[in-house]
Amino acid sequence: MDDKTRLAAGIAKQLQDLSYDDKRLAEIAAEVEVLNDAVRKAANQRLTFDDDPAAFASVLAKEAK
Amino acid sequence: MINDDLALRDLSEVADAIAAGRITSVQATEACLARIAVWQPRINAFLRLNKEKALEQARAMDKELAAGKRRGPLHGVPMAHKDMYYRAGEISTGGSAIRRNWVAPVTSTVLQKLDAAGVVELGFLNMAEFAAGPTGHNVHHGHCRNPWDDKRVTGGSSSGSGASVAARMVYGALGSDTGGSIRLPASACGVVGMKATYGRVSRAGAVARSWTLDHVGPLTRTVRDNARMRAAIAGHDPYDSTTSEKPVPDYEALLDGGISGLKIGLALPNDGPAPLDAGIGAAVQAAADTLGRLGARVSAVTLPDFTALYRSAEVMVKCEAAAMHRPWMEKTPELYANQVRTRMEAGFFIPATQYIDALRLRALFVQEFLATSMAGVDAIVLPAIPFPIPTLEETDTEEKGGPAVLKMVAGFTGLTRPFNTLGVPALSVPCGFDGNGAPIGLQLVGRPFDEALLYRVGHAYQGATDFHTRVPT
Repeated sequence: MDDKTRLAAGIAKQLQDLSYDDKRLAEIAAEVEVLNDAVRKAANQRLTFDDDPAAFASVLAKEAK
Repeated sequence: MINDDLALRDLSEVADAIAAGRITSVQATEACLARIAVWQPRINAFLRLNKEKALEQARAMDKELAAGKRRGPLHGVPMAHKDMYYRAGEISTGGSAIRRNWVAPVTSTVLQKLDAAGVVELGFLNMAEFAAGPTGHNVHHGHCRNPWDDKRVTGGSSSGSGASVAARMVYGALGSDTGGSIRLPASACGVVGMKATYGRVSRAGAVARSWTLDHVGPLTRTVRDNARMRAAIAGHDPYDSTTSEKPVPDYEALLDGGISGLKIGLALPNDGPAPLDAGIGAAVQAAADTLGRLGARVSAVTLPDFTALYRSAEVMVKCEAAAMHRPWMEKTPELYANQVRTRMEAGFFIPATQYIDALRLRALFVQEFLATSMAGVDAIVLPAIPFPIPTLEETDTEEKGGPAVLKMVAGFTGLTRPFNTLGVPALSVPCGFDGNGAPIGLQLVGRPFDEALLYRVGHAYQGATDFHTRVPT
């Protein structure tokens, strides 16, 4: 079991009280890594301290035709 | 024969004929029931058919009309809806085994609005389990099948909505769209489907897939029908705080403005999750040429790299779905299809900070899209599905599985999911047939709350083409 799979196993057991076999944990760890990396990279490039999740609805309203 | 002629007419035509007293709602309902009797065994579009109740409603609508009361432009029109819109006191499965016998405690806002408009409800339609699948497979209730070729998929998750409208079993149907679930079945079945701007239609009383990405909308045979049905369901709802208070335009009255001088961007992206098939690209190019002949100024546009946006959407869906499904995933995981359950599991492992950042990014993604791809154009046209419609067997993730199948299934939403994350309106209209005789969908994307313009372009296109008039046999 690699480090990321071990971490996923810890999250499952210690934090979420869920049970998965090692094969499935390795698959989940790989999937989460891809998603986390993409969001983290996009966030690093774009987000500032003042960016608010609720701004989405405001932008739609502001840009409305 | 008379019944079949009536069933083949469009929603607007039938509604106007009922209003004028040329036909009755009972006749229209009986025409649909006759059509359902023939097509249901072939395509499995309905999960529940309420024949007697529908006829009773139709008689009541006829009685009201005879007494001089017309509720509106949908008075007496028979429809059916994706089985995820709650009706108080009635079963609502969400396409699942878990809720096979669950009885809804409330009626969804959109059904209340259609009730007030005088719509006759024939029943509820097949769908992907918990709206989680782009093909139309359903291991619990049986797969829905494409009316053009029953070996091929309908697209999902609003599979029964697309199939039933295409087979002329109903005049219109509600679907829902989290990553393409209205536009994919509209495209694959050769009908019209629109996902409006996020917040345009209430989600209250509907099964959620992702609260932040779900859009409610109609599937119909024509753009006019879609505009008419949209007007009946759109607007602010105190039971859904994400709905907009912007006034709802009279979409149908704005259909006939023509498209002369409109600026249309043509996008033929070949770098998404699935490569663009040459035949699909040619059909969309031909559709753009038609718009050009109608007076639009068509130019090529490039879509941004949607990778980060697509991954952000996956983070939102997985985290929200894992949260809402957790009790069932712990107690009765065996009641889910494997692919439905496993697609949610990553949500338990994604840090909350990543989920929040995905939400924060959304406003910036919209601003970037409007400032780049949409700069200088009124709408963008592109394919809805980038490849010919595959068979049920080719896309059976449950029975067949494997990386190739999973990749093909994932490719379905490559050109639709980005517009859910962006929240902008997107319409699919039929624009041809692939080499196997299955329909091709032209997707039109607009600026926030500019549904009227998309309807105007789609209506002009349907005035110049006949793809929407062809009927599966």
